[in-house]
Amino acid sequence: MKPRYLIGASVAAVLAVIGWFALDSSAVEYADLDRAEKLGKTVQVVGTWVKSEGMNYDASADVFTFTMQDEQGRRVPVRLQGPKPNNFEIAVSVVVKGRIENGTLEATNVLTKCPSKYEGQPSDAMQES
Amino acid sequence: MIGQILIHLLFGLAVGSTVSYLTAWFRADVRLARIGRALFSLMAIGLVMAAAMLVIDVVQHRFEYTYVWNYSSRELPLHLLVAAFYSGQEGSILLWTTLVALIGVILTPYARRHQYETAAMSMYALILCFLTLLLVAKNPFSYYWESFAAQGITEADVPLNGKGLNPLLHNAWITIHPPILFTGFAAMSVSFAFAMAGLLKREYHAWINVALPWTLFGTAVLGFGIMLGGFWAYETLGWGGFWGWDPVENSSLIPWLVSVALVHTMLVQKRTHGLVKTNMALAVAAFVMVLYSTFLTRSGILGDTSVHSFVDPGKFAFWILLAFMISFTALGSWLILSRRTDMNVNREDFSPTTREFMLSIGAALVMASAVFVTVGTSWPVLMEIVGQPKVAVSIAFYDQVHLVLMPLIFIVNALSLLVQWRHTTRSVFVRNLGVASAVTTALTVGTILSGLASVPSVILAATAWFSLIVNAQTGWMLVRRSFVMAGAYVSHTGIALLVFGVITTSQYAERYHAVLVQGVPTEVGGYTLTYTGKEQIERHFADREKLRYDVHVSGRGEDRTISAILYWSDYNRRQSAFLEPGIRWGMMNDLYLSPKATELENVWNARTVQRGASTVNPLDSQQTITLERFTMPMEEGPAEDGRMRMAAMLSVADPSGGTSEVKALTLISTGAGGPGFEPVWTPINGGPVEVGLTNITRNNEDPTKSTGELAFRRQGQEIGTPREIFTVEFSVKPLISLVWIGVITMVLGFTFSIVRYVRLGR
Repeated sequence: MKPRYLIGASVAAVLAVIGWFALDSSAVEYADLDRAEKLGKTVQVVGTWVKSEGMNYDASADVFTFTMQDEQGRRVPVRLQGPKPNNFEIAVSVVVKGRIENGTLEATNVLTKCPSKYEGQPSDAMQES
Repeated sequence: MIGQILIHLLFGLAVGSTVSYLTAWFRADVRLARIGRALFSLMAIGLVMAAAMLVIDVVQHRFEYTYVWNYSSRELPLHLLVAAFYSGQEGSILLWTTLVALIGVILTPYARRHQYETAAMSMYALILCFLTLLLVAKNPFSYYWESFAAQGITEADVPLNGKGLNPLLHNAWITIHPPILFTGFAAMSVSFAFAMAGLLKREYHAWINVALPWTLFGTAVLGFGIMLGGFWAYETLGWGGFWGWDPVENSSLIPWLVSVALVHTMLVQKRTHGLVKTNMALAVAAFVMVLYSTFLTRSGILGDTSVHSFVDPGKFAFWILLAFMISFTALGSWLILSRRTDMNVNREDFSPTTREFMLSIGAALVMASAVFVTVGTSWPVLMEIVGQPKVAVSIAFYDQVHLVLMPLIFIVNALSLLVQWRHTTRSVFVRNLGVASAVTTALTVGTILSGLASVPSVILAATAWFSLIVNAQTGWMLVRRSFVMAGAYVSHTGIALLVFGVITTSQYAERYHAVLVQGVPTEVGGYTLTYTGKEQIERHFADREKLRYDVHVSGRGEDRTISAILYWSDYNRRQSAFLEPGIRWGMMNDLYLSPKATELENVWNARTVQRGASTVNPLDSQQTITLERFTMPMEEGPAEDGRMRMAAMLSVADPSGGTSEVKALTLISTGAGGPGFEPVWTPINGGPVEVGLTNITRNNEDPTKSTGELAFRRQGQEIGTPREIFTVEFSVKPLISLVWIGVITMVLGFTFSIVRYVRLGR
């Protein structure tokens, strides 16, 4: 075997190992609330905001709270460190990154998915006219 | 109608041009080449016409077209109407296709001059076959009544106004960022076409010289386009930073990284005739990664992992995109493999002390970065394919791998300049390395003394200094001879500056959470922030309420007003404000004011209570108050100067065990900014505390869960108007200007090199 292949292969192997460890330590699983509780670590939960339970932003503590419902229908209070995410009210679903502690989903990030339901629906103005 | 026919015709022209060119190549037929060229020109003209038609349709508000209705409205100014042309999926595919065709028009005579026309243009036209087919699937000229036939819409129903453009896109950046990015994407097709042509012609070296200026052009333009996206995110979208490793950002970065590697390996082949197969493979990879990016971001499969919202393109377009990607990967691999023995003409191992060796290692490291970013971005999809639970990769992954890769890249980059092509004179190398190392050490010590503490950052900074010193030194010697020679060194310097910007903003940035009560100075991090008030701007538009929030910033040598913007738009039915940060730009640092929330001061000791729930009287903790129900306006008698009356029925429980009923009244006025509430104060049980109703939030899904806001005051107490509270994140971002300066320097270097290689190619 030529030395250049050996060098190439060992460099690639080292990089692959580094990549694998980085990937392993930073991978965040998508889970429902039951699994999130069982795992006890940071996961991403896809669900919706339970509108009837309201929402609140406490400016002095910089904490935003609301109740979410996962795809299985289970509900949990969410505490996000930070302000209300953009477009929260009109989001069709939310992706909450966090971990469950004492029955509360302690979130570090909330992604809002904007309604694509409006795409593909005729406008209200049309239906009224 | 004409638009739809035109799109189908364009696909026909692309196929015709491909077939003519390909046959012309196989038969060496000049007449067929002329036909291929004519068909290609017709297609380019047709695409420009289609683009022009779409722009005209948007400008004339032809809402009978679904696309025009979906992405524009009558309120938009002209530059945004033009931008609306590519704001949706169909239009952006049309823009991309048109740019590919236009570049093709410039490419045709260039390729002919280098005897590459038939081979290269047949491949190039093949790309356009797929792009125009994609347009057939995602036709921007679909009619509204066709799109919504299922909902009973007929030709007679033409919408009066469009849905408008997402307010986040309402700025100058949308007029430049997408066209530049797509020009970069389009230019990636050129290197691919030339590589394929080289394989067809069995000319494994000549294509490098022909393709190099185009590869440089594509890399420069794509790099600039990516930066503009980062700038946009920073300046308008208020994402806080310029880069978030979001799938959409990554997917434009991956082809750029591959083409950066390609530029370097092409240079090696040009000088040494080595890396023949590598260059073929990278030219294919750069183009295929453009397609893969498009697939990732357009197919909707990354839906849950990105801040960008995706629209499902539909099954047909999904499969065309997939087929597009697979076909070109297969075509490229097949041509390379079928010619592999033929290409093994020049096999030699590079000596480790040569520039060609260092450049190869550097290119491999850049490719490693491309692979990591690809794996990270694709991870959720990959996991789903192998049946694992879906997993996303956090930003930490990209940071960690690049904290390893970037220092290696910088070191290899510097070494590649300290050694020479073919053979390095040992004494010269040792002397140059010694000088560069000494200067680097001194500068690194200075950096540590200035406060940089984290070890990975110090290593990154040290290697960036090393690269910067060596490039500046080499570049300076060349600039004096001819500045176009210095292109590479200028570009490398730009990258080092960019990385310094990344270090300063990630390690030295200060972030403060500030709750600003109007008129009350608040001190954070040595600055005094005062929210002075708001003013409505752009009043002439009926579809929006755009408010400028002024914050006076003083201290640390600063004395000025920074304004952030809250923007209520009909686009989302004013349900939630769009937020734009306020920025004080500076060479040394940026002050960045990012709005978080606004609310009114709670002067009335207000408590929000859900129907059926209870609260303790804030002014008399002995009393528990339960909100029993809301009354209807008609129960409360006629309106008073245009204002309705509503009330919350409360039951008040005393410690003695007695309960009594109290009616908390409010007067509701209706206005543009939503209803206004004025409480009618009512004493509780004749005691010293009065209660009033200051807000009602109706819960439409479940009216029993509507909430009311109850206000309390001592009898006769005068309460002033509540002041507004503006909550912000205020941050100081030191030397973030280096990020922009770095990228612009890099692009400038590319421009020098393009000039140089175009001259050499003549």
